[in-house]
Amino acid sequence: MAPQRKIVLGVAAWIVVITAAHMATNVDWKVLLNDRLPESERKLNVAYIPVT
Amino acid sequence: MTDYISAYSKSGHLFIPRMFQGFPEIKEALISNKMQAAFMVAPMAIALRAQGVPIKIVYLGHRYGSAVVVQKNGPVKTFADLKGKIIAIPSRYSDERLIVFKALAEHGMSARDLRMVEMAPPDVAGALAAGAIDAFSMGEPYPSQAEMSGFGRILFHARQYWPDYISCVLVVREDVIQKKPQAVQVLVDGIARSGLWLEDPPRKRIHREHAADFVGRFYFRQDPRLLRWALTNPLDRVQYQPLTPARKDFELIVKLMRETGVLDRDIAFEEYVDIRFAEGAKAQTEWRYEPGDAAAQ
Repeated sequence: MAPQRKIVLGVAAWIVVITAAHMATNVDWKVLLNDRLPESERKLNVAYIPVT
Repeated sequence: MTDYISAYSKSGHLFIPRMFQGFPEIKEALISNKMQAAFMVAPMAIALRAQGVPIKIVYLGHRYGSAVVVQKNGPVKTFADLKGKIIAIPSRYSDERLIVFKALAEHGMSARDLRMVEMAPPDVAGALAAGAIDAFSMGEPYPSQAEMSGFGRILFHARQYWPDYISCVLVVREDVIQKKPQAVQVLVDGIARSGLWLEDPPRKRIHREHAADFVGRFYFRQDPRLLRWALTNPLDRVQYQPLTPARKDFELIVKLMRETGVLDRDIAFEEYVDIRFAEGAKAQTEWRYEPGDAAAQ
């Protein structure tokens, strides 16, 4: 395999891994999916701060 | 807590919890309808309603759980020693500010005798440790954090000056109350069941220790040991029953807000509280769930 091709594949793999890690750790899928539901089916978003 | 346990039940998650770091951000999220409900300090909820924001208080979050904390080895030994000192409060629209005014009145002092500064709750313990402030009046777990870390000492708990003290309340947008009353009732029922679960006499300590563990790890992003301290040291440091909004408690808050200049008109209890969901939750029973169970009912 040509060095250039190796670099391109390596960068692409790195981007895929980092993107997947970011989406797994930093995206709240529960919130995202809830916001996409029709209003009648949507659950309430409830705000809180870390105080009892 | 309700979110965690309900996830083990047949109905699954009852709502979507979203953590914020301060009350001003919660206020904006409610006004813009990003959040349909929120836990916030009672005076802020009343003030928002008085300013025309379409929200209503439907339930309490807890009772007690606020304290005034000073430096452990500092010069402040009694409340009178706070004269001329700096004390942090979470907001000018907070019960933690009102409790300071109550203590000032008891000691024949006035607001001019100390300097109150607003500070985000997560910042106060560090500020006290660094000597940037002399005291703070705040809800748990920040008093516990100062105690556990060894640099803070509880000067007094809120109940010492305010026997029926309440702080956090659950508010819901009025349009949601009108359009989705069933969803609001489900939310209030879930919180009522959690309160009963935390106050179950024979299992109280076990339930609270377990709650401290999962709330600390998954919701507050805090050391579970800190929450365990706050919830069990002693066991009635924070109480989760009764959570029905009581007229006399709120009328006292309105009176104190008027006296301390953060509310410019009288406001009737019915204008800012919708009691029907709390009434509807009175028949609820505690969650049937124990640590390690695969399902909750």
